Amino acid sequence: MIRVFADYEPEHALRDEADVVVVGSGPCGAVVAKELAEAGRSVVLLEEGPPFTPEDFVLDGALSMARTMREAGLRATRGHVMPTMQAIALGGGSLVNSAICVRPPAFVFDEWAARFELSQTSRADLDPHFDAVESFLGIAPTPDAVQGRRNLLFREGCEKLGIPSEPIPRNVRGCRGSGECFTGCRARAKQSMDLSYVPAALRAGARVYTSVRAEQVLHAGRRATSVRGRVVAPFTGRPGPAFEIAARAVVLSAGCMATPLLLLASGLANRSGQVGRNLQFHPGVAVMGVFPERVDPQFGATQGMQSLHFLRDGYKLETLWAPPAVLAVRLPGAGLALKERLAEIPHASIVDAIASCHHSLGSVRPRRQGSLEPALHWRLHPDDLPVLGQALRTIVDVLFAAGARKVLPGVHGLPDELGPGDVEALRRQRFRPSDFVMAANHAFCTTRMHGDPAAGVVDEWGRCHELDNLYVADTGVFPRCTSVNPMLTGMALAHRTAKALSGRL
Amino acid sequence: MRSLGYVADVPIEMALAAGLLLALGWRGFGGYPRPAEELGCLSRREAAFVASAAEALFPRGGAVPPSGLDAGVPVWCDRWLAALPAGTRRLVRALFLLVEHATLVFPAPGWDGWRRFSALDAERRGAVLEGWRTSRFFARRLVFTSLRAIVTQGYFADPAVLRCLGLAPREIVPPVHAADALYPPIGRPRSAIRFAAADVAVHGPLDRPPAAEPLGPEGPLHADYREAAP
Repeated sequence: MIRVFADYEPEHALRDEADVVVVGSGPCGAVVAKELAEAGRSVVLLEEGPPFTPEDFVLDGALSMARTMREAGLRATRGHVMPTMQAIALGGGSLVNSAICVRPPAFVFDEWAARFELSQTSRADLDPHFDAVESFLGIAPTPDAVQGRRNLLFREGCEKLGIPSEPIPRNVRGCRGSGECFTGCRARAKQSMDLSYVPAALRAGARVYTSVRAEQVLHAGRRATSVRGRVVAPFTGRPGPAFEIAARAVVLSAGCMATPLLLLASGLANRSGQVGRNLQFHPGVAVMGVFPERVDPQFGATQGMQSLHFLRDGYKLETLWAPPAVLAVRLPGAGLALKERLAEIPHASIVDAIASCHHSLGSVRPRRQGSLEPALHWRLHPDDLPVLGQALRTIVDVLFAAGARKVLPGVHGLPDELGPGDVEALRRQRFRPSDFVMAANHAFCTTRMHGDPAAGVVDEWGRCHELDNLYVADTGVFPRCTSVNPMLTGMALAHRTAKALSGRL
Repeated sequence: MRSLGYVADVPIEMALAAGLLLALGWRGFGGYPRPAEELGCLSRREAAFVASAAEALFPRGGAVPPSGLDAGVPVWCDRWLAALPAGTRRLVRALFLLVEHATLVFPAPGWDGWRRFSALDAERRGAVLEGWRTSRFFARRLVFTSLRAIVTQGYFADPAVLRCLGLAPREIVPPVHAADALYPPIGRPRSAIRFAAADVAVHGPLDRPPAAEPLGPEGPLHADYREAAP
């Protein structure tokens, strides 16, 4: 049973009860709901956003963001101003991400274990959970047939430099290479949660309430007892009737920017003082290469190729496409000069790097006391600058090796365009944090797991140290960034949390 | 004391100063024309500012012929602003206000540069924007980037622009997915679901081959991006 906004009666409060209530239908919450429902538990899944059908998608990038993202896609950190987005839709971020599913290498989990007193979260411990998620979604490397010229140029550039590269594994079946992942897959090829895990949870008997905003977790002693909130209208957020779902266990999967606020608003799980702290991102830098021939970059998987070769150096390379209006934002200039550059987009290939900025920490706090709107503070630490600089230089090398005649680095202090002869100048450049125009949509660590209850919010199974039946399953539980795209890791950890919780009910 | 003859108590210097202030106020903040289109959200001042910024960033001609005004940026901006949450909308309005009136404090080049942005000629609008873009202050560059992002989104919302660049989306007819029989379009009742279980062609994640027929330049355009018949 799924309820949408039109199903609610304006004058009647909604009440229900279940074994487990899951808050948030993004990749982690959807996994928990499906696994517990299939294990025979009664499950209620709550989602603040609506389900999107193909006719609800709009191709206009800004209007699409206004419909699918919180704060219309204009959320940004303070401190170092950097855009960061959070989806509001059934399926969460999976509706509008590029479906990248990568297992982090073992060294990432070894570092987690060593620094955060985690003894059962090695790559080997998690592999069965990665396997389960990958096999359910049919995750597979992007086939050559839908790579498009733009992605293949990256492969050619890497080959010429001897840098290993590979097709990106994605939760996609039947891709047409429309390059429209960020505005919603019109081909219904991306196996976002609304198409995969949520329908499976429904088939197993879960009850899904959309357009409901969780505002408080109630508790009695060490036990969470229910989740309370309001029905909200799609897009406007206009509040409707109240709801309360009583449950034997509560799982918070509202994302690493919303879950800590829900905990703080409920006065829960923060004896360590770590709720909302340790915010980390994978800041991304992107460079556009302009090629002599027409590339037709709009055709091909949105992000089809990657290189994991530099993970230990702190960055991952990947190809990128986005709505042209979004890409054009980074082009230099104005007036007729800007138009000249727009005309070069059909000849362009874009490569980005996501960086592991371990020194750069931030926080999520409510904008006002009790508010569920986040104020994000984050600063790029000077010690992380060399990683971004090195990533930028590597991207430029790859693009020139692939045959680019010029690149547009989009970095303050550098010329608007660099030719192959300018690479040495780039190597000598010393950057400042404010030189980079970055974006970051991978966010972590605000309810981090830690073996020591005084230093973290949850244990290795996602259970809050301070409560017997309150769990967190989203990227907030990561103790440190993953160095690769986080969705699959979040889902694997959520899968493990669901198995553990099912055994305890 | 000299005074105006018909208002005996007002010194002429004070009257001249008041007149000058009024003239400056009018020059800075008044006399905005009625927008060419019916707008629901943008004020007259905001519409004039967005139109002038669109003209400055995307003048007519060049490699992509339509101008920002041809592309209907103010109308798009009006629609977009209406779709924003109230707090975000206030921020965007503050951005417009800031750039529109900053030249009253930090003038544009030239002897009469103390004009609001929308009252400057095209050349000086370009010079003002270039000043924001290349500033050594991050905050000023951020203002430029934000403004240009908004105007650029509006420019690209015009199908003619994407057609000029050969970037217009292609038509896609997806198979009916099991989820299409579960959810109505947003805001509609369950009766608006177009598909029944019998229509479903794709039942689960593994129910399709990994790659389908790839899209390419030869494919038909999405209906919203086709050129209207003459």
